[in-house]
Amino acid sequence: MRSKRFEALDARPVNQDGYVTEWSEVGLIAMNGPNDPKPSIRVEGGKVVELDGKQRADFDMIDSFIADYAIRLDNAEAVCKMDSLELARKLVDINVPRSEVVKLTTSMTPAKITEVVGKMTVLEMMMAVAKMRARLTPANQCHVTNLKDNPVQIAADAAEASLRGFAEEETTVGIGRYAPFNAMAIMVGAQVGRPGILTQCAVEEATELNLGMRGFTAYAETVSVYGTEAVFMDGDDTPWSKAFLASCYASRGLKMRFTSGTGSEVQMGYAEGKSMLYLEARCIYITKGAGSQGIQNGSVSCVGVPAAVPGGIRAILAENLIAMALDLECASSNDQTFTHSDLRRVARSLMQFVPGTDFICSGYSATPNYDNMFAGSNWDADDYDDWLIIQRDLKIDGGLVPVLEVDVVAARNKAARALQAVFKNLGLTEITDAEVEAATYARGSQDMPARNVVEDLKSAEDMMKRGTTGVDIAKALIKGGFEDVADAVFGMLKQRVAGDYLHTSAILTRNFEVISAVNQPNDYRGPMTGYQISDEKWAILQDIRQAISPESI
Amino acid sequence: MDQEQLIRQIMAEVMANLGKDSVAFQKKSPAAGGAIGKDQYPLGEKMPEKVFSATGKKLSDFSLDKLKSGELTAEDFRIAPETLEMQAQVAESVDRDSLARNMRRAAELIAVPDDQLLSIYNSLRPYRSTKAELYGIADELETKYKCKVNAAFIREAADVYEKRGRLKAE
Amino acid sequence: MDEKTLKNIIEEVMKEMAVVGATAPAGKPAGRSAETPSTSLVITETGTAARGTNPREIVIGLAAAFGGRQTQTIIGLPHDQVVKEICAGIEEEGLSYRFIRLFRTADVGFIAHEAAKLSGSGIGIGIQSRGTTVIHQKDLPPLSNLELFSQSPLIDLETFRAIGKNAAKYAKGESPSPVPVRNDQMARPKYQAIAALLHIKETQLLDPNKKTQELRVEYR
Repeated sequence: MRSKRFEALDARPVNQDGYVTEWSEVGLIAMNGPNDPKPSIRVEGGKVVELDGKQRADFDMIDSFIADYAIRLDNAEAVCKMDSLELARKLVDINVPRSEVVKLTTSMTPAKITEVVGKMTVLEMMMAVAKMRARLTPANQCHVTNLKDNPVQIAADAAEASLRGFAEEETTVGIGRYAPFNAMAIMVGAQVGRPGILTQCAVEEATELNLGMRGFTAYAETVSVYGTEAVFMDGDDTPWSKAFLASCYASRGLKMRFTSGTGSEVQMGYAEGKSMLYLEARCIYITKGAGSQGIQNGSVSCVGVPAAVPGGIRAILAENLIAMALDLECASSNDQTFTHSDLRRVARSLMQFVPGTDFICSGYSATPNYDNMFAGSNWDADDYDDWLIIQRDLKIDGGLVPVLEVDVVAARNKAARALQAVFKNLGLTEITDAEVEAATYARGSQDMPARNVVEDLKSAEDMMKRGTTGVDIAKALIKGGFEDVADAVFGMLKQRVAGDYLHTSAILTRNFEVISAVNQPNDYRGPMTGYQISDEKWAILQDIRQAISPESI
Repeated sequence: MDQEQLIRQIMAEVMANLGKDSVAFQKKSPAAGGAIGKDQYPLGEKMPEKVFSATGKKLSDFSLDKLKSGELTAEDFRIAPETLEMQAQVAESVDRDSLARNMRRAAELIAVPDDQLLSIYNSLRPYRSTKAELYGIADELETKYKCKVNAAFIREAADVYEKRGRLKAE
Repeated sequence: MDEKTLKNIIEEVMKEMAVVGATAPAGKPAGRSAETPSTSLVITETGTAARGTNPREIVIGLAAAFGGRQTQTIIGLPHDQVVKEICAGIEEEGLSYRFIRLFRTADVGFIAHEAAKLSGSGIGIGIQSRGTTVIHQKDLPPLSNLELFSQSPLIDLETFRAIGKNAAKYAKGESPSPVPVRNDQMARPKYQAIAALLHIKETQLLDPNKKTQELRVEYR
């Protein structure tokens, strides 16, 4: 006979999740792994001859790259000899400024920094994140995708997302050949909602660069790096090819960040018996060495792996912290489903939501999750009010603002019509008035009429062959009577000439002013310092549509 | 002695050592004067009259009307090497040396056409090229586009790939 | 997936770890063979795989453990039925097929790309033991694709048949409607850790020096 208590517990969402016990021999361990190397570094004649217990002759590709490019060497030997506990305390201590900590952390080896954060509780790490985040003001990023790759819906969802406060928006594809349409749709839609939103389209590396060069996207993020050489090979890249790619983006005036995350090496079968966090530290050093301004990390698409082992969510916070400690922009994940439990998913997100990061979610789903083509996000469009009310409850700024239904409907409609005009004036497939109407009021792709996919793919391919660029999109908008949207697209294109948004943690205001870690560095030093919610912003955050005012009764 | 004078003097000495008596600097480059730092940032807001596109057009002259009339084309929305050099100096002024290095590698690559950049990137992927092919790419970048830093970087990659068995089987 | 199945898989992996000389964690005796459902597939290597010349063939690339050390996909579809469905889809379009197996990589993008490069039609299919599948064309970059079915828990037999059919249509120069993409945001929480274990198992069978093999596939 079964206990009724246990029967009820077994039926809870949390028990639908997969869990496994630690297994350090294959790297199925989050952090503090028994096989992780002991920190060491030896520098001779300006060259690293020993790194984390390995001699130069034994270096693999990743060791070589890190040794030659990623560590500040002048003080490296001394920092490596410092007590890791003492260094962990400096990370937390509000009396030690960020700039002083960065001098130490950027001199550490991957094993050293892993050891240092291994001394910290999640609460201490959150304290450290509040201080070490590069940009003063936290922000948020969303995913805008759908199951049918319907570009009209993408434009409408992007416009709504901009209105709601996201600073960056990311799309991807169900079918690879839809990429040009999706990239175009998210850019036009985002600029309708609020000028100055950065947009990207996550697809295969070379395709993604091509879209950026043409002016269909403003930045790129899916530049993946891995912590073991074997997995790097399966990812079809090397640290050198990725560093070259980073330069390619900058040479076209495009913002770019790398992507990595705990669990990818185990997931892909080659963890060399090292802990997920140590391997992730190697990824972050490759990112640093390649000269990328930032990184998206926090396990990302592999979150099911660390989330299944003990201390996995702690390791995810630790990897975000390492990225910040290496003075990189950190888009801190919270973007992929890892649990059936609402309690678990909130607890996981509070780690970044409360202290604030450059992008708390690197993909809050701006659609219901059934349309999220990154296989589901930890937060989706149906959670918008929950997020807003958590901000209001805790008086924290998680990057979103309350909106009115009438404004959202208007922005969605305008975005759909703007894209309709672009398609018409570029000679692409037709967007009907019925589709515009559906996108205006849709919750997701279930509310959208089907498009002719074969015709769309052919049309997209032809457009790419014609050499269509962002300038053509702006002209098509002008021709369609959307001069204000064209002006915003023009404003985005202009950014790539100045290159100001190539700097760490850069985002743009609605007037195209750049805010980054250069002109707005985080200066947190304890209570009443660092980012403070202004009275004006607090008034906006508390003004939710559900609140009843005493006067109204 | 102010910083600009100092830099000019050092440049003169370096040039003399190289056995050259003059060197052509493009006049549109304020970077040659040095001393760009975080106080000038964002350049597009604080000094748009000194930022030029790769085609030589002044950022402060950019307008939607010019895009409409066709005076501005897609080619004009490309960053210039001098601008990336200034941004590299901004990065250095806030102790981000590796970001600055990337910007300088990128400055060299501006001259390389899109298709060729994509093809070089693909050649750098594992098992795609022989050592000779990578060295060939490096030579072409160096001689045709003056990409000294990138050429050295690609040769280094070729050597590492050889050591680690990641070259194309011949 | 229930705890028992999970244990079985872990034990199976452990057993192989023990074979390659790694230490098993204490308290988990290795060596007992796990119970796996039987498959009627008999797969024999017949020599190094060659490039085909028949423009009406599809090459199907199998990952290292498919139909051998592993016999079912992540949701328990037997590998023999998976193969039958893909082949039936190809045959419906009047095309032929042959099989290869890769040992250099277990990445499904590379497997499919290798299959496409060896295929007389330039179209190949790659499939991992857990079920992840890609339709590829030889001229595309390896990690690009014609169609990708990345969420292995969502691929049913009907989808495998549609994959075979669409691959054949691409080979005939048609532009088929892509097989409808499916999405389940709860697949990851449920299956990702197990998918990792299955993949570790697959990569343990790799041999970087072994050339891609032509296969004879029969049913018992």
